[in-house]
Amino acid sequence: MANEIKLLSGSSHPELSTKVANRLGIEIARTTSLNYSNQETSVTIGESVRDEDVYILQSTAPGDVNDGLMELLIMIHACKTASARRITAVIPCYPYARQDKKDKSRAPISARLIANMLQTAGANHIITMDLHASQIQGFFNVPCDNLYAEPSVLRWIRENMNVEDCVIVSPDAGGAKRATSIADRLNASFALIHKERPRPNVVGRMVLIGEVRDKVAILVDDMSDTCGTLAKAAALLQANQAREIIAIATHGILSGNAIDTVNNSCLSQLVVTNTVPLGDKLERCPKMKVIDVSGTLAEAIRRTHNGESVSYLFTHVPDWD
Amino acid sequence: MVKNIVVLGGNSHPELVERICASLGLTPCSRILTKFSGGETRCEVQDSVRGKDVYIIQTGAGKVNDVLMDLLIMISALKTGSARRVTAVLPLFPYSRQPDVPYKKAGAPMSRVGPDFSVPPTPGPGIARSAGLDNGTDMSGLMSKVSLADKAIDGGSPVKKSAPNGINVSQSRPGTSGPGSPLTRTFTTHNYENPALVSTFQAKPGYKQWVAQAGTLVADLLTCAGADHIITLCFGILYTGGATYDLHDSQYQGFFDVPVDNLYAKGLLQRYITLNIPNYKDAVIVSPDAGGAKRASAIADSLGLSFSLIHKERRPTKITDRQSASMILVGDVSDRVCILIDDLIDTGNTIFRAAKLLKREGATQVYALVTHGVLSGDAPERIKNSCIDKLVTTNSVPQDENKAQLGPKLDVLDVSQVIAEAIRRSHHGESLSALFAYN
Repeated sequence: MANEIKLLSGSSHPELSTKVANRLGIEIARTTSLNYSNQETSVTIGESVRDEDVYILQSTAPGDVNDGLMELLIMIHACKTASARRITAVIPCYPYARQDKKDKSRAPISARLIANMLQTAGANHIITMDLHASQIQGFFNVPCDNLYAEPSVLRWIRENMNVEDCVIVSPDAGGAKRATSIADRLNASFALIHKERPRPNVVGRMVLIGEVRDKVAILVDDMSDTCGTLAKAAALLQANQAREIIAIATHGILSGNAIDTVNNSCLSQLVVTNTVPLGDKLERCPKMKVIDVSGTLAEAIRRTHNGESVSYLFTHVPDWD
Repeated sequence: MVKNIVVLGGNSHPELVERICASLGLTPCSRILTKFSGGETRCEVQDSVRGKDVYIIQTGAGKVNDVLMDLLIMISALKTGSARRVTAVLPLFPYSRQPDVPYKKAGAPMSRVGPDFSVPPTPGPGIARSAGLDNGTDMSGLMSKVSLADKAIDGGSPVKKSAPNGINVSQSRPGTSGPGSPLTRTFTTHNYENPALVSTFQAKPGYKQWVAQAGTLVADLLTCAGADHIITLCFGILYTGGATYDLHDSQYQGFFDVPVDNLYAKGLLQRYITLNIPNYKDAVIVSPDAGGAKRASAIADSLGLSFSLIHKERRPTKITDRQSASMILVGDVSDRVCILIDDLIDTGNTIFRAAKLLKREGATQVYALVTHGVLSGDAPERIKNSCIDKLVTTNSVPQDENKAQLGPKLDVLDVSQVIAEAIRRSHHGESLSALFAYN
């Protein structure tokens, strides 16, 4: 049958692919990938994709970004040469999203390079989630749908928190828009932490703007990588007498010593979505909670396939159950 | 001193970068090339490249995907840094050897040399029939099993279930390629706990499983990142698992939208033969497979040596649905020195088996001359125990570890001069054809 949804899964996040496939009520297409002993990636496709609507789901496995990316590119290219009708790369956590501008002389704009590479390999459409900078959409000449985890996050806050008690805190000026949007929709108050960042992966001095005394402070960010920022922000909030401190981040990359940092910080909970494989981190970090976003991804795939509007998903969590 | 030219080295082969820079009289461009803690590549070029002619040296060794991404990011950093022209110098082009279906066919990279050798005939007028090598699957044994199983079926006996086809016979052989054998690759599978799933991977019925070909993709990506020119080192023909692409003058060059120059290591290897192999005039040049016949015969012709070929026969057998490869030598090598010529040695299976066959055919000594000595996995260890008396390769990929392990059994030829000269000529707009010359 031509032009059906074919969901291919990269090797970085099989659990998410399985969840998405289950939501869509389809099976993941048969593919396998392995590394030769000389470390080259080899992808084998075990069924026809001719004239099908192909969705390739590949996330960013922390520490293995380049392998995952090459695997994705090879899969896209393989589907293109195998005459797929349309190839959509579903990348819940866009790699290299933080290198999105020429912040110093001769720095690469890697996010742009990735966009070009995806198109060169043959992607006709991109679905991603919570881009670090939404301008990255402009790097593409093909449609790029940037989904938001915000509806899922809002639902989680409403279900688990007492909204009147909360202050939404943005850990940096860049995230202010994201945090204010959540604060507005919850009708909660808002605070902001201003920070100076001398070098990448190093956190500088911080100042709190706003009032958090005796409140539950909810730090909202798009990704938590080394968690240095979060830990410092939490310490700052505690110094300002917040009652409880919670962090919510869409992409839980949690590289390096992130888990230890979180465990030793004054955060009471760290909430992330499952855009990135978490591996054994859940066991190692009892403070961690996970929001499932597979419903949003699956619904985006279904709507894209059927040519329906995706905008509903920007404000609502699809009801699958 | 060459002016207005910048040489930028990747992480894959610092020693080669140093040597090339030394022959050009330059210091390499200073850069930061590390990884962020999340695994993303971080690249900063610290010297100005505005209006410069930049050469990036990166070879496809080590963690190939990281190496490739580093290269692409460096190219794009240079482009945004207003470099006038960016040339990617890839001594070993990543993904150039395209994949065979890796775990199904005998003779493919994941198979291994078996302990048993059948005796297929060597064809040739006036040549005595000789012992050949097979792929380790003793067909007669399999056949007898099958006929037994068939009998069981005919008789309606319940034994049928326990010996379905007799295919599993080969798996019980010690060391047969499988998850437990020392040759097993590191798998990336959907099921991390069970790498064995990969070998049981089944295509949908009625659909022929095929492996993605990444070579063109890599070419596209380099152009897309902004490379204006590509220099790579090869032997002239890339062996691509069945089909051959002549890199010098046909298809592979056509994959690129930018100029591609291929430098030949042939001259180097040829000089090695004339200078280091005693009585080389009596030696035989041997190609370990039909795909490499052209490059081996080119050397044989220009040195005036005799030439022979090892033919890998793949006979599909309807019993097992597996393909069987047996090696047959075409030509006479008895009491002579043999020089095996190949483009790339990775796991080395083809060459090991070829050397074994040559020794069996009465060769006194076996040299293996290979442009790219990747030697992944436990290949160095196995070279020690193989029939190869000497392996000669270039330093297109780092050879220090291999040299330390193999000692006098390995000779490494330096290609930095050739590459440096190519960079110099390319920069000055001089002809590169002198470097392509066959002598």
